[in-house]
Order: sequence, then structure tokens, then C-alpha cells
Amino acid sequence: MFTRNWKHLCRRYSQAVTFRTSEIYPAQHNENQIGLFYTIKPDLCKQLFNHGGLPKSFMKQTKTFTETAIMVRQPALDIMDCIRASDMNKPVIRYVLYGEKGSGKSLTLAHLLHYALEEGYLILHVPWVSEWLRRTPRHKEMTNSQTKEGFVDLPLDAAEWLLHFKTQNQALLKNCELKISKDYEWSKREKTEAGSPIAALVEHGINRVKYACDVIDALLLEIKILSNSKQCKTFVAIDGFNSFYYPMTRLNTPTKKKIKPEEVTLTNSFLELTKNDWNNGVVVLTIDQLAVPDENQESFLPRYLLYKKGFEHLDPFVPIEVGRYTDKEFLSCANYYRDRLWLRGPSDLETELKFTSASNPYNFMLQCAPL
Amino acid sequence: MSNVLIFFYRRLKNSSFNSSTRTLSKLQIRNYAKATSFPDYYQNPIFRKEDQVKLIADSDLKNRATVPVKPPTVSETSSVYFDPLVNKVINHVMEKGNKRLARQLVEKAFENIKRKQIERYHLASTPEEKAKIELNPKDILYKAVENCKPLLQLQPIKRGGITYQVPGPITEKRSLFLAIKWLLETTDEKERTVHFPEQFAWELLEASNNTGKVVKRKQDLHRQCEANRAYAHYRWQ
Amino acid sequence: MSILIKRSKSGCFNSACNVKLWRLNSTSADSALKKGEEEEEFRVLDILKKRDKMQRRVVKRTDVQPDRIDRMATNQNWGNVWPGPKTFHPSSVPLPIRQGYVPKGQAPPGKKANAELMKIPNFLHLTPPVIKSQCEALKQFCTEWPNLLNSEESIEKHYPLEIISSDYCHASPSIRNPLARVVILRVQLADLKLDKHATDKFKRLVGDRYDPKTDLVTITADRCPTKVQNLDYVNYLLTACYHESWNFEDWEKEKTEDDMEYYDWDNNASKRSLIDWYLRVKNELKIMNDEEYKAFDISQIENGAQYKASVSKYMNEGENPQTVQEYSIAVRKLFGLPQKKLV
Repeated sequence: MFTRNWKHLCRRYSQAVTFRTSEIYPAQHNENQIGLFYTIKPDLCKQLFNHGGLPKSFMKQTKTFTETAIMVRQPALDIMDCIRASDMNKPVIRYVLYGEKGSGKSLTLAHLLHYALEEGYLILHVPWVSEWLRRTPRHKEMTNSQTKEGFVDLPLDAAEWLLHFKTQNQALLKNCELKISKDYEWSKREKTEAGSPIAALVEHGINRVKYACDVIDALLLEIKILSNSKQCKTFVAIDGFNSFYYPMTRLNTPTKKKIKPEEVTLTNSFLELTKNDWNNGVVVLTIDQLAVPDENQESFLPRYLLYKKGFEHLDPFVPIEVGRYTDKEFLSCANYYRDRLWLRGPSDLETELKFTSASNPYNFMLQCAPL
Repeated sequence: MSNVLIFFYRRLKNSSFNSSTRTLSKLQIRNYAKATSFPDYYQNPIFRKEDQVKLIADSDLKNRATVPVKPPTVSETSSVYFDPLVNKVINHVMEKGNKRLARQLVEKAFENIKRKQIERYHLASTPEEKAKIELNPKDILYKAVENCKPLLQLQPIKRGGITYQVPGPITEKRSLFLAIKWLLETTDEKERTVHFPEQFAWELLEASNNTGKVVKRKQDLHRQCEANRAYAHYRWQ
Repeated sequence: MSILIKRSKSGCFNSACNVKLWRLNSTSADSALKKGEEEEEFRVLDILKKRDKMQRRVVKRTDVQPDRIDRMATNQNWGNVWPGPKTFHPSSVPLPIRQGYVPKGQAPPGKKANAELMKIPNFLHLTPPVIKSQCEALKQFCTEWPNLLNSEESIEKHYPLEIISSDYCHASPSIRNPLARVVILRVQLADLKLDKHATDKFKRLVGDRYDPKTDLVTITADRCPTKVQNLDYVNYLLTACYHESWNFEDWEKEKTEDDMEYYDWDNNASKRSLIDWYLRVKNELKIMNDEEYKAFDISQIENGAQYKASVSKYMNEGENPQTVQEYSIAVRKLFGLPQKKLV
């Protein structure tokens, strides 16, 4: 009883300084809420981001702040407006989020994912492409592809993604309306028949890790067909998309041969998905300097990060910049931090922090930490 | 003899409670161990805004206007979050002049303290408990250092071929030095898998609660001073 | 007598006063002198004899003419005083000139007996009135300036080739300067008669000697020892480059899109993807070959022209926030999406 009162008091206090909005449905967000924080419910958060999707440092913050609050910002609203205005019967429109390091591209994507979930989209979300191509833990499972000659499979990563896909789309997969169009024969004994639900395909991939990459290939193809036939609308979100176009990955075959990104089966499946040869869907990509090595981080603009090949692949796309905090956003964020006990001290601290962090959201968060 | 000791105790205790501000002003003075390019009549810079305001209010400015002043170092800024004690601790942590890394480590430790305390704050059920929890890492550092400062020290003095550990008073500066040194030494006694910021945060929290290894070390020293008080007269004889 | 002679020799000049002194001094010796002829006697020591006074030397002025500058009239014709190139002469130049290096705080030495002033070449024979009068005299041999070349533009139009070289005057024993041999040729690229291929090749041949901002080709020659040779060489270079750029070699056919200096939207993937998108929207997707793609008229696509312009600018001007913004606006128009709201 008392805690509830306390929470209530907190909320009232927060609303008084207006850095928080009680509107928890992203679809309802509009210009009036720019710069305000909204809270994602914990169970929803778990469903969406349990297998990645929020940056690590942000996850740490959510633990300390005991809530997952995302700021409503212009780029996310902009994309929502565009999605609402666009004709779903036309080929999918690719939106590319770009911006400086730490400007909040991934969080904008998270906001959009929440929107997509609320709007009933089928979500295909890759939390961080570099996780597949550039991160090399000691035991990175890698096998030569059985079905495609000269390609490399990442079965564990693929299975993990399938799990992620399954958790994100629990509700949609349950209602079994999404059927497969043709037979898939994995081996002599194992096969998935036409007409069985997509969930079966996903389950097969998770259980039989060996076929996970092929399952993803098939799954993405099926989803394209389903979207074209208006059985579902699809939301594709890929974070760190430019990793697919960096000339080299960090992966090595057992014979020490360097692998190019286009030699990985996952790359091909997802590049196929980002083409505009299907409709009834939305594709939101982020390109990030952090997805490529330090020596290729000279600029954050799309052509530089995507290279010629990537640019031509996506063209025409809608570039959307995620910028630094505006004055209003910065103030609201500082107030939020003060509310969450993350920031304290005299009020001229803000002016100084604004200057030293150059209003970059990540830098601001970092510089607040030891204060 | 014990009277003498008690006298020390009192004197030091009084001074240590009153002189926290004086300690701070002392911290901002740079005394160079090595010869510097500045002659000794060069004054230390006054780089804090509040000090400058005070200087103008006291009309001391006229006297200083004619005296040459050393330039402030890079770390001595008028920033809101500059703190002389923190700067001192960073300098103690620093190795081979790598101040950047040292600052990062100490700041990371502060972050860890803050996270722990905020977590505790959220776990606390009543407002009274919540009010008790200190959330500012800098305050915790101050408290920890204050708790770790020894009031007496043992000096080895050779009398009649035997070296006696003779208790005696300790200067403000040395007691601060020992406090920070002990905190860092205790932090270094950690598992390889534990990182410095985590352990340092832990030690600071312990010390600020007047518990932990460092405070015990201080108490041990005091106890030994008490035990050796029979030798106290060797300081003069 | 011999003494007398000796003494008289040691005396400087036979002035009257000296002789008188001499006589006064030797009054007592006079008798001894006479006796000496008969018998040898000791010389008399004259104790009271006064010391020889230092004889003041009287400077005898030589007959030197006064300085010429003191006699110069203020309204004289300078051209007559200094008619041609000549080493500096202090008496002829009525100017208080000082020249030379001295320790700090001292004034430089004056013009008389000043080697510093004599070392350097001077231009005292080329004063403005002299030049003017010489020009006047030369005028009868000149033709008139063409009155159509009355402006800078018209000169540039009729004489597009510009040759720049420099002459130097400085304080050194030699009047020659190594930099005087440098010859710079400048010409607007637009003034050369070149077609598309030749322009491209010419630009590649001259490399960084072409400035795209001003459209100027600047060729500099300094490898020959004299100016004339360098001038010849510069002219040769321009001629050679010009004719070479008109040549079409066999290997030039192998040039691909990447070698082009500019991004031609019509040849690029961007046009293909735009057309594909357009046909998909209309549900008329068909497989086309390169020629068909190139020939496709984009004017039927709404806002296609703006898209083309923005992509071309994006690629040609390079990537910067401005071009990305323009690209974004064009794409949104193409897709029929709302523009970004400014907050």
C-alpha cells in the first residue's frame, strides 16, 4: 500500500517536471511527446529484447533505473508517420537510420519494434549483425553449407536467431494461420510438408541446429510469400546492417581461409529480404560505425558505410538521421536522470555536461556515471 | 606518559574534525619533489571560481597581481565536478603518468558505487532507511578516507643498539597519504578475475561504513601505538 | 758644417721661423765650428738648451673641387646628370642615402666611400620623367593600340594564352636571378577546341595542372637555363598535350564506368533500381537488358527527375549532410511520403 503511494507520488512528481509521458503505446505518440520518456512494460520488454536488441550499456541502465524507459524522438515518429502514409501494396520501402556513434539508433529501432509489435506486424529483427560476422568467441560453430556450394553456415547463431524470432512473435505464431507453401526436405527422414504452420519450421530449426541456416532461408522466403498474399504484414529490423557490406569478416574456416560476408548463408538470406521485390512490409535498417573496424569509421553517412555495393542494393531508400539531443531533449533527459537518482549536484552541472558531451546521448550517459 | 598520549589524541582528533576544509586547501597546493622550471616565489594558481570570488571579496587580488603565478595543470580545472581529493586519489592510482587510465578506473569505481547504492535505495522499504543511504560516490570517498586516516604513527628509533617502535603524532598530510595508500594496497589484494574498479568500490563502501580491512589496519596501528606507549619517552631522550 | 747639414735635413721644411730657432740654438756652437776646422774639440754640452718644440704640421689644402651635388641646381634635368646605367657615385646623387649593416644602435654609414651602395645595381637612370621622355621619343616608331581591345575581357577573348615570367632586382653582385628563367603558361580549358573525349583525356594528361574551380590549365617550365628556352618548352608542352588528347588509342575502349570523373546516372544501377521499382508499382515487371534500361524515359515517373538530380549530386559532389538531406527529400517525394517535420 505504502509503496504504491510512493510510486504514485513519484509519478506525480515526474509529471510535474514533464520528462515522462504516460502514453505507453508508441502508435499514439505524436509531436507533443518529443523528448519525453515512456516506459515499456517488463513482460513486453522481455518478449522483445530478451535475446538482444537493446545495447549492453542501456541494459545496465535499465537494471539500475528499475524500468525500461525510452525517449520519444523525432526519427522514430518520422518513420511511423511514413509507415502510416505509405501504400502497403507498393514494394517495401527501406528506411535507413544513420547517425553518429551513440546517438541512439538502436534505441530508435527498439521504439519502432515496440510500435510494430503493437500494430501486429510479424517481426524479423536482427539485434546486431556484427554478432554473427565480426564477433569471434573461442568456440564459434561454423560449417560448410550442405545445400549451397562454397558457402558457410553459422548454425548456432542461426538457431539463436530463430529462438529470438519465436519469442518476439509468440502471439502471431500461435494462431497457425501462416502456412508453408511447399515441401521442404531436410534429410531422408526429416521433412516439413506444405501447409504446416511456420511455427513448425521454426521449431525444426531450433531442434535440429544443423539445418538452422537452411530453415532461415526457407522461413524468410515463406514470409515474403505470405506478405505478398496479404496474410501478414512484416516488419524487418536489422541493426548494424553495414556489416554485411564490409569487405571482410573476422571469420576463418578451419583451413584459415578468410571469409567474405557474401560467403555466409545468413548474409544472403537477409540481403534477399531487404530487396524491394515484395510488398506489405516495412524494412528499417541501421548503419553504424561501430559495426566496422576502427580504421573504416571516418564518416557516419550511408554511402561511406554501405560502400557502393550496399548503396546500390538499397537505393532508393529513405535516409533518416538520428542526431544529437536537442536542447529540449537534453533537459528532459537530465531531469529523468535526476529523477532516477543518476545525476545530482548543482544545476550548472547540466550546462557543463551539455558542453562536454556535445549533447551526444551516449556520451552524456557516460559522463553522468561517476557524478 | 599516557597523559602525553591522550594529549596527542585529543589534539589530533580536534584538528582532524575541524580541518577538513583546511585539508582541501592544502590538497590544492603543489609542492614539487623535483626541481621545477618555476622559481619558489611563484604562487600556486587559483583556478576554482569560488576561490577567485573569495579572493576578490577579500581584496587579496591586489597583492597577488604583482606576483608571478604557476600555470594550472591540465587536471586543475574550474569544472563543476573537479574535486581535489578525487584528483589526489587519481594521482595515487596513476602509473607511469597514465592519468587517462587512472581517471577512467576511479570513475568506473564511482559508477559501481553509485549503482550499488541506488540498487540498495530501491530495495529499502521505508523512507527513513532510504534517507540513510548515501548516494553520492564522492561523499562516500570522503567518508572512507576520513575513516581510514590514522591519528598516530610508529617511528623506529634506535636507542642502545635496539630499535624501538615509538608512537608519535602524525601530520595531516601523512595521515591522508597513508589512508589513500592503504585503500589502494588493500584493493590490490584481490583475485585476478576481479577488476580494480569493482574491488575499489567495495573497499570504499566498506571503509565509509567504518568496517573492512583498511579500517582494521588503522585500528591495528592505534592498538600497537597504545601497546608501545612505554617507549614514548624515547622521542626526546 | 756637416752637423748643420744634418740638422737641416732633420728639420722639416725651411720655414723662416725654423731657421731662426736653429740659429739661436747654435750661437755658441758657431765659434766651435770655426775652431773645429783647426782642431778637434769636445762638443759643448748646452745645459740650458730648451727642448725642441713639436712643430705643428700645417695642413696644406690641396686644391680639391667642391662636391658636384653642392653645385647642382634644384631645377636641373636629372636625365642629363645620370643618363645611363652607372655604378653609384656619391657626388652625383643629391640624396642623403645610408646603406650597410652596423651593430645595433648605430646609424648605417653614409653614401661616401660606401661599397655597399656601389655593389648593387641601381635604376637612377630610369626615373619617371626620363622614362616618359624616352617613351615620347619612341612613340613615332609605335603603332596604335587596337581600340577593340579596350577591356580585360576582350583581351582574354582574343589572346587567351597568358605567359607569366618575372624579372628580379636585388642586392647581389650579379644582376641575374635563377628564378627569372621560370615561365608559366596559363590558358582556360574552355578556350581550347576539345570535344568530350579530348577534354577528358587532356585533363588526365595535365593532371593536377588543371584547376577545376577556375577552369585554368597552368603549365610551369623551369628546367631550361634561359627564359627563351623555357618559353619554347611551355609552348611545346601545350601543343603536344593538345594533339595527344585528340588521339584515340585502342586501349581507351577499355575504359569503364569507374574510370569516369563523374557519375552518369543513366549508366548506373540507380536508374535500374528506380525503373524496377516503378514497374513493380505498376505490376508490369519485365526483364530488360542494359540498352533498354538506358533508353527508358524517366519523365513518365513522377518526381523521377528530381530523384535523378539528387542522386547525381550525391555521387558527384560527394557525401555530406546536405546531399544526403536532398536525397532524402527526393526519395520521400518519389515514394509519396511526408517530408521530415522540423521541430
